Amino acid sequence: MASVKLTNVKKIYGKDTVAVQDFNLDIADKEFIVFVGPSGCGKSTTLRMIAGLEEISEGTVEIDGAVVNDLQPRDRNIAMVFQNYALYPHLTVFENMAFSLRLRKAPQEEVYEKVTKAAQILGITEYLTRKPRALSGGQRQRVAIGRAMVRDSKVFLMDEPLSNLDAKLRNQMRAEIILLRKNIDTTFIYVTHDQTEAMTLGDRIVIMKDGYIQQVGTPTEVFDMPDNLFVAEFIGAPKMNTFCTELVLEGGKYYVKPYGAKIEVTGKKAEMLNKKGVEGGEITLGVRPEHFVLAKKGDRGAIPCKIVVNEMMGSELHLHVTEENGDRLIVRIPTIILSDDERNALTYGETIYVTFDSKVMHFFDTESGKNLLV
Amino acid sequence: MKRLNDLDYLRLGRFQAFFYKFRLFFCLIPAWLRGVGRSVGGAFLRVFRGIKNEFVDIGSTFKYGNFAVRLSFFVFGFGNLFYGQILRGILFLAFELIFIGYMIVPSGGIYWLAKTRFFQTGKTVGTVQGGKFYDEVFDTEVWVAGDDSVKVLLYGLLTVIFIVAFIYTWRLQVKQCRICMDITKKGKKIKSGKDDLRSLLDDQFHKTLLSLPVAGILIFTVLPIIYMVLIAFTSYDAAHDGYSNLFSWVGLEHFNELLDFGSGGMGLAFGEILAWTLMWAFLATFSNYFLGMFVAIMINKRGIKIKKFWRTVLVMTIAIPQFVSLLYVAKLFDATGIIGKLLLEWNLIPSSMVAVNQLSLWQNPISARVLLIAVNIWVGIPYIMLIATGILMNIPKDLYESSRIDGAKPWQQYVKITLPYMMFVTGPYLLTSFVGNLNNFNVIYLLTQNNQLINTEIGTAGGVSVCYTDLLITWLYKMTLNSGESKYYMASLIGILVFIVVAVLSLIIYNVIPSTKHEEDYR
Amino acid sequence: MRNNEIKRTGLGARASRRVGNTVVYTVLVIMTVLWLFPFVGILLESFKAETSMQTTYLLPKRFGLDHYIRLFTKTDFPRWFLNTGIMGVATAVLQTVFVLSMSYVLSRLRFRGRRGLMNFMLILGMFPGFLTLILIYKVFTDLGLTMQMAPLGLIIVYCASSGMGYYVSKGFFDTLPKSLDEAARVDGATRAQVFYKIILPLSRPIVIYTVLMGFMAPWGDFMLASYLIHENSQGMNVAVGMFEWLSKTMVNTNYNMFCAAGVIVAIPVTIVFLCLQKYYVEGVTGGAVKG
Repeated sequence: MASVKLTNVKKIYGKDTVAVQDFNLDIADKEFIVFVGPSGCGKSTTLRMIAGLEEISEGTVEIDGAVVNDLQPRDRNIAMVFQNYALYPHLTVFENMAFSLRLRKAPQEEVYEKVTKAAQILGITEYLTRKPRALSGGQRQRVAIGRAMVRDSKVFLMDEPLSNLDAKLRNQMRAEIILLRKNIDTTFIYVTHDQTEAMTLGDRIVIMKDGYIQQVGTPTEVFDMPDNLFVAEFIGAPKMNTFCTELVLEGGKYYVKPYGAKIEVTGKKAEMLNKKGVEGGEITLGVRPEHFVLAKKGDRGAIPCKIVVNEMMGSELHLHVTEENGDRLIVRIPTIILSDDERNALTYGETIYVTFDSKVMHFFDTESGKNLLV
Repeated sequence: MKRLNDLDYLRLGRFQAFFYKFRLFFCLIPAWLRGVGRSVGGAFLRVFRGIKNEFVDIGSTFKYGNFAVRLSFFVFGFGNLFYGQILRGILFLAFELIFIGYMIVPSGGIYWLAKTRFFQTGKTVGTVQGGKFYDEVFDTEVWVAGDDSVKVLLYGLLTVIFIVAFIYTWRLQVKQCRICMDITKKGKKIKSGKDDLRSLLDDQFHKTLLSLPVAGILIFTVLPIIYMVLIAFTSYDAAHDGYSNLFSWVGLEHFNELLDFGSGGMGLAFGEILAWTLMWAFLATFSNYFLGMFVAIMINKRGIKIKKFWRTVLVMTIAIPQFVSLLYVAKLFDATGIIGKLLLEWNLIPSSMVAVNQLSLWQNPISARVLLIAVNIWVGIPYIMLIATGILMNIPKDLYESSRIDGAKPWQQYVKITLPYMMFVTGPYLLTSFVGNLNNFNVIYLLTQNNQLINTEIGTAGGVSVCYTDLLITWLYKMTLNSGESKYYMASLIGILVFIVVAVLSLIIYNVIPSTKHEEDYR
Repeated sequence: MRNNEIKRTGLGARASRRVGNTVVYTVLVIMTVLWLFPFVGILLESFKAETSMQTTYLLPKRFGLDHYIRLFTKTDFPRWFLNTGIMGVATAVLQTVFVLSMSYVLSRLRFRGRRGLMNFMLILGMFPGFLTLILIYKVFTDLGLTMQMAPLGLIIVYCASSGMGYYVSKGFFDTLPKSLDEAARVDGATRAQVFYKIILPLSRPIVIYTVLMGFMAPWGDFMLASYLIHENSQGMNVAVGMFEWLSKTMVNTNYNMFCAAGVIVAIPVTIVFLCLQKYYVEGVTGGAVKG
């Protein structure tokens, strides 16, 4: 139950391999923060610096207002769940969970009470006398979480805890972590490479790349208003379509001209462009796959494309299409709006027409990748 | 030579590719040497720069230090005491007092240094020759105790080490005082003695664990090796044993002796023995390796029953002390042993092998060497078999299955899958076992000592008679065993040469074996 | 039918395997005979009632325990045996402490000078180690640790530098996941607690392997032992003591007794070895096999 503050934290390996660059973040008490990014982006390193498992090259880490740079992990009052669980193979589940309490020489009653309580919450009471070897992946995962729970620690760190589970179990555990959070009301820092986990779990998401923070924000913020191209493409699945196009300002009105079509920018986005004083020119336009709508030949702003791959996902249809220039786009259509005939027509080689609304456009600077509206 | 790019290289036929690689290897040698030279030069440069930085740092410490820091240039640990690190301060101070005390007391450090006379060619190590002297008062011969060069040299060496340690400690505590001062300036807390002790179980835990083993290595390996190197520059031998007769510093004189390639000269002996040592190490290592692997594959073959029995039979030989079986086997083959006798009775030993009065396989250079390697195979196969079995079980089965579907025959599977995998995993093991065989005392000595076959070309060298089967290590052993002929200085010198040979070979092998180059290939 | 088009090359799979297996069995049987021959030979020689160096037969003409009786009544063999046993136990304990400390530190702790230390030991290992005995022998003579006190001196020599043989156990420690240490440290353990609460309990195979190697070393050592013992019968280990019996002058009378002693010596080592063979195999292969 504590705030965590990172100021100008840097991690440098060897002489000049920079893993984390100028990391600044304030984590409020009882907040659930998720670090997300592709592998090698420095998210795990940052977490391990908070835990005290990696030395901090520069900057300071504060927990509850106290600088902890020079403290050993055991003096930081943190709990951590590891990617491969790191259960002690020679100890029973009970002793695994009791390990930290035993080190603190807690009385047997307290150990018993805390461990059984955590086990009950996690539903592993019947395995308490088993060794980790005899457990399945999901059960081991629960033990690892339980081991962290009995600590009553200030901060709860999780390093890709679900990535060793299969897809079904992962979804289930994800839901349980959300429930768990209601049970143990503390500060969470959660590392993952999976944007779905980040979106569903986090109060706020920290998106990282190459050691730099790309954006910090609530799931809605990063989804609706990504700071740059990287965030835009990283968050959301399938990823956002981006294409180079022209933004023109004609008589006080903005138009984009993707692939020969001409679409007017209206509403809020137009206002924002206006407010920023954007003058137009070459930009990169981003549209999420689900924001395309099917159009008819000759409709305004209709872009003709050819279907290359048709993925039937059940509730929706993912169409990989190529536009005349050869650009590949992904279009996502809910199956429910299509009649059977329409659906059957969407096959390999067919030409379809798609368009999109100005509400869902994202405008990026082609060179820097920055969102023009931020 | 023109380097091909990857795609062009792939176009080459098998032989062309081989020749290309072959030529490439030789063309790359100059570049490789240049690289080595550069890294050695770089290392020297770093050392010099490091030393320079130390001096600069010491200077600035004195310049910017407060009085406590400055005083600790002369009084060890003063800064620590001043800043409240009582434990460290007392230890440093005690060290200084002990050092000064040791140096100045009678027969202390200065005394021994003066006696040792390091590297003063022609001077004896120690100054007083003991022996029997005529005593006028009692009108009789009396025994007067003199110096013992061996001890003098040891104490001299220890004093030098003590001085080095003193300088290091001085630097260490000056640095620590500086750090204390800096920390205090920043307003942070300095570690107390209690923190120091506690950290020995935590972030300094390595010091706790290492203290015992490293101390053991320093005292029982490093110190004797330095001593041994020094011996090479003295005349220490059986005639100058240091006690009844002082030995003296001779400079590089013995190196000339080593370069004597005449009959009975050290150079010839060294060359011959080295050649056999290398041949032995090579044959012993690889015969064991391939045969052992072969046995493992046979036992592991599908359809072979009672695998455990075959393995246990072989492993038994590991359990029974080598010297028992080796001595027994040595006896078996000699003129009075069962096999030796039977061979004689059946006239299986050719008459060309007839030595003066003994007929056995040990009495002919070639058959003796062949027998050694054969016995070594007998000794070594079980080890390799065990290791190979472990690795064979680790080779993914699907490799074999997919190669069978691709149409590979068992032999091809062995060459294309088993062998590369084994070579990869056991590379480091091959290196260590090669070095181990270079110094394989047991097999050679125990098998041949009772049936020595003197090398007639060399006769004696280094004070001992040299056998055809002698390795450098057995030669050294005989040279230093306390006989009337021991030439310790020569043993030291050859020891240094052995070191150089082993180091060079290890470097080459290390660079050739695949395991070090493509560490992740089989992960 | 397409089936007819498949060509059969050589023998059928089953037939060819049968031929192969026959060959392999033949080779294995021959090997078994070759490998067991010395043991059977030693055993038989030791039970011969007659003294029989110059014979061409293996089976005793008359069975008897004469040589065993002579061994324990007329020679110093019991003393040698005891010496070696004491050395074995002491070396096993001390060497295990040294080797495990060194390998644990090098494998699982990171500190300044770690690489340097490893390289230093690598280079040190290239010197012919026994030359260190020139000095050690002199010093030990002064300290009274040679001749009949040689066993004590030898224990020191075996153990003192044993930290340099850290390779195999380091290989084992390397295979334990790093996150175990980290989890324990987050849980509140000091590095020392990590060592004896987490890593040591997990390291039983390598601990037993190290103990086993330490115990077996004095039984087979001839080189170092003969140097320090310097022909003093009271201080000998079995190897040095028994070696004398096969010298040219003594072999005729002592040959069968040597075999008897060989049998006695082999008993404790073999028993210990066979009990712990599993761990030995794990140790030997664990060092070479990664992953």
